[in-house]
Amino acid sequence: MKKLNIMLSATVGFVGVAMAGQAAAAPSCGSNTGEAATGEPIIVGGIHGNAAPGDFSASTDAAAAYFSCVNDNGGINGRPIDYRVENDQWNPELASQAAAKLVDDAGAVALVGNGSFMEMAVNAGTYAKANVMVMASACAISECFESSNIVSTNQGPLPSNLGATQYAQEELGATNVACIGLNIPNNGPWSCQPSIDLMKARGGDGSMALLNPGAPDVNSALLESIANGADTILMNLPAGLAIAVLKAAEEQDLRDSYNWIAPTPLYDLSVPEALGEYWDGKVWVNAELAPFHLNGADAQNWLAVMDSYANPNDPRDTFAQSGYLSARFFTDTMLAMDPAEVGDRAKVTDAIKSIKGLTSDLMCGPYYVGDSDFHMPNHAGYMLQMVGGGFKVVRDCYEFDSAYFEPHIALEKKLGLR
Amino acid sequence: MKTKYINWLIYAVLMVVVVTWLGWGKPNKIIGMFFVSGLAVGSLYALGGIGLVVLFRATGVLNLANGAAGAAGVMTAWQLGQWGVWAPLTWAACILVALLISLFYGRMIAPLLAWREPVVKAVATLGFALIILGLVSFLWIDDPRSISLPTDKIGIKLLGLRVTATRMIVFLSTIGLVIAIYLFLGQTKIGLNMRSLANDRDLSALIGIPILKVETIAWGLSGLIAGFTGLMFGDLIRLEPTVITFMVIPSIAAAICGRLDNLMVVLVGGLSMGVIESLLTLSPGLKGARPIAPFVIASLVLLWSQRGTQLTFGGRD
Amino acid sequence: MLPKLFHITPSGAAGLLFAVFAFFVVPTLAGSLWLNVFTSMGCFTLATAGVAFMYARLGMVSLTQVGLMGVGGWVMLRLNHGFALPFEVNMVIAGFATMVLGWVLALPALRLRGLYLALVTLMAAGGLEIILSTFQFPNGGSGFWGVQTGSGAAFRRPALAQSPEAYLRYVVAMVTSGFLFIELHRRLAPGRAWALIRRSEAAAMAAGVNVTFYKAWAFGISGLLAGGAGALLAGSLGLLDGGTFRASESVMLFALAVVGGARFWLGAVIAAALFRVLPALLNNWGVDADLSFVIFGAGLLHAVIAAPNGIAGQIMELFAGLIQKLSNKLGLVASIVIEGSADD
Repeated sequence: MKKLNIMLSATVGFVGVAMAGQAAAAPSCGSNTGEAATGEPIIVGGIHGNAAPGDFSASTDAAAAYFSCVNDNGGINGRPIDYRVENDQWNPELASQAAAKLVDDAGAVALVGNGSFMEMAVNAGTYAKANVMVMASACAISECFESSNIVSTNQGPLPSNLGATQYAQEELGATNVACIGLNIPNNGPWSCQPSIDLMKARGGDGSMALLNPGAPDVNSALLESIANGADTILMNLPAGLAIAVLKAAEEQDLRDSYNWIAPTPLYDLSVPEALGEYWDGKVWVNAELAPFHLNGADAQNWLAVMDSYANPNDPRDTFAQSGYLSARFFTDTMLAMDPAEVGDRAKVTDAIKSIKGLTSDLMCGPYYVGDSDFHMPNHAGYMLQMVGGGFKVVRDCYEFDSAYFEPHIALEKKLGLR
Repeated sequence: MKTKYINWLIYAVLMVVVVTWLGWGKPNKIIGMFFVSGLAVGSLYALGGIGLVVLFRATGVLNLANGAAGAAGVMTAWQLGQWGVWAPLTWAACILVALLISLFYGRMIAPLLAWREPVVKAVATLGFALIILGLVSFLWIDDPRSISLPTDKIGIKLLGLRVTATRMIVFLSTIGLVIAIYLFLGQTKIGLNMRSLANDRDLSALIGIPILKVETIAWGLSGLIAGFTGLMFGDLIRLEPTVITFMVIPSIAAAICGRLDNLMVVLVGGLSMGVIESLLTLSPGLKGARPIAPFVIASLVLLWSQRGTQLTFGGRD
Repeated sequence: MLPKLFHITPSGAAGLLFAVFAFFVVPTLAGSLWLNVFTSMGCFTLATAGVAFMYARLGMVSLTQVGLMGVGGWVMLRLNHGFALPFEVNMVIAGFATMVLGWVLALPALRLRGLYLALVTLMAAGGLEIILSTFQFPNGGSGFWGVQTGSGAAFRRPALAQSPEAYLRYVVAMVTSGFLFIELHRRLAPGRAWALIRRSEAAAMAAGVNVTFYKAWAFGISGLLAGGAGALLAGSLGLLDGGTFRASESVMLFALAVVGGARFWLGAVIAAALFRVLPALLNNWGVDADLSFVIFGAGLLHAVIAAPNGIAGQIMELFAGLIQKLSNKLGLVASIVIEGSADD
């Protein structure tokens, strides 16, 4: 996720064109007073995972930038946010230590911008016990979406896979999808199964080829998918591994015999370059937040915040957008609370759980939380085609057809969001 | 001599049984695909194992930093490629970096441990591997990368699978290397010296064999092999320093098959491990754990080779 | 013989004092974060004790200790979610199951020379990493592997240690008994056999010592401690992940056991502290955690080449020197102290 330079220059290039004439756009944050907050700080935590095999710090970087901006603009009714970020290093012990430090020792009122493969599985119980809410941003595992005190702005692999599969079935003529995923039960099998179910429900078929995170041989997984009779390959993998799969396919010149689809991780402006011309126009990717070049008001504000408050080489990617959004929704919620109650964890938790109907042009649907054992407010997305060294939208915001979302839709109806 | 033939016979029968068992009921084309794919992976295991054994025989050091040296080399090649350096130069740089790392250890650090037990020497190279891995991961933060060779684009159809020239190169150069080293050891003066060193270090020193020179050549040779292996691994499998560094573990499995001595067995062992690992994908129950195939095979070979033997202290293990 | 069995060396006394301090004082001072860190450090101290003891007493190199901890943790979680047995029973079963598995894994090498044990255990570490990340740790699901997606079931901590403070005390007590267990063996028949094997395997054999048997015994003790340590780690978190038990971690733990000083109890404590605390500290200081690899690797090279007694050895020497100076002033003889500290 730290595709630093390539990523940065590409994104800034886009923005440079799109924002000509309004280059000095000032970021808009919180109550936007222009005065620095000086009161008693409100402690907010954030946990990301940064170690091999992946860096998930983009979301907390963006959340930190937004909170700095809020603090320069009146804070929460004059009280600045003291945002403390810990790194779990993909290690369950460190993840539990990070939560102990933020939730028990520092007494954070909430956690915002979390991004990890590990932290949510270890700490979901801790959060529920401490009655603290986590507004995560870069989630990849089931616990993130199926526990009472975690809500994530990003979709995670399950809906994104579904979106890609559904598009392939409807537009690319897919009849048999092989989902290549990581052999981590709460990631790979969990997120592949609904896509296979979708294919079966529509008269097609599907299979799973699971890749051992420690095993380097992606070729076998690819061959296994082919042996299963697939006509569409769904690469449910982090970008690096997905690139390895595509390279193995290129080596055997399989490009034209199969459809190549992927969830969000492959939506990264450095990917077309890493893949080269061979794959131009042949890879379809589902995006869970608005693609960069759509550049709505919130997308522009996100970049303005990043330019003014983030490190120049912090990534500007989907997870950074997601971190920004979580921080913005959190701030809006805090500002709407009784100023006397914003330092009280229980009251903050209640306020977060009653969030409903917040919107942004970065997200297809409304953002809501609700008091339930599952949370997945973001479950609609865009479909993109990798073409000309970049990505083009081939299908605008669409909802995914799966029984998995029945409880979510019921909840949305109850909250009056449908 | 007779047991040797029996061993090879048992091996052949076992391979046929395993391949038939795993491939039962599957179309030949699919089996062929997995077989060919496994040969490429197996070649890399064998290459790594050969690099280990060549050095171990000549110097008594089992260099567990070989994978790390290859990783450093191939990352350098990638970086130079990003800077627009002419591709053949980047490949040369890959091999050169691995060579220099190997020679540095061989000339500067290994002599400090010359008279220690083999296991201590091996443990020290682990320390060296950690240093290289730490530096490489520090210099090149985790990021999706790939490196490709022009030979990736050339290929022939074999058993229904398109086999690229790169895979052919890996396979053929592994076999070629074994033959070349066999001839080198048998036909040249340095080769003779190496064999003598492998046989008895102290006696070789006494009869005036230039130990330093022979050892330096061995370190250089293993560095070259490590660089080549790293480049091929980065191209064929994955360009990631940690994965390439710990590639040394299946290489050890291949080396153990040849009892850290017999290059021919290392070659056959490495190739068989790759093929069996690949074919295990066809078994629904075992496919998840297929990467442990090399370790299981090496352990079985080790157990088989010491059947009926007593613990004695005559040789130098 | 009995007085010798319960004789307390100065180094041993210091160790017991340290354990008392860790038991009574540390849990009252530490916050939630540090309770967590010290508990995890305690678990790794126990595992390091096993690997360090094998290296220092027999010159055996085991590069799979963290992988074996994973096995112990797996058995603990499996039993916890499968049956209603108390924590202690689960822990004992986990320890013995790991011991047996350790034997099976090391079997191809136990009759061979040292290098093969190192290589076979390195392969075992690679294999365990794959197995544990493929099949994952039980979290209350059904079937043999017991894995379910979504949130895991609850973990039952020992009745004696429900709170984090009590659990840290519990771990300290277990680690101390682990050290005493090793020390007891050293002072009985196995210890004499090991000392002979360390001198010369040939001589040991000639003297009628069953070399393979006593090597396997040592490996078994080390596996037992690793299994117990894994079980304790599982108890501290309530769940485990394959990422903790990678082959690289086993290599690192061995490296640190040597860096810390394999011959001393303090060495194991230092190794576990470096293993668990240094990466976190580097991270807090904004230094890339990858650089901890460089530091550990350089430390291992240095220790192997120049400082066989490691950091603990240097500290012990320093103390012995201080006491000597002090006692010279007081006119006492401190040779016992030096002799004792150099050998424990």
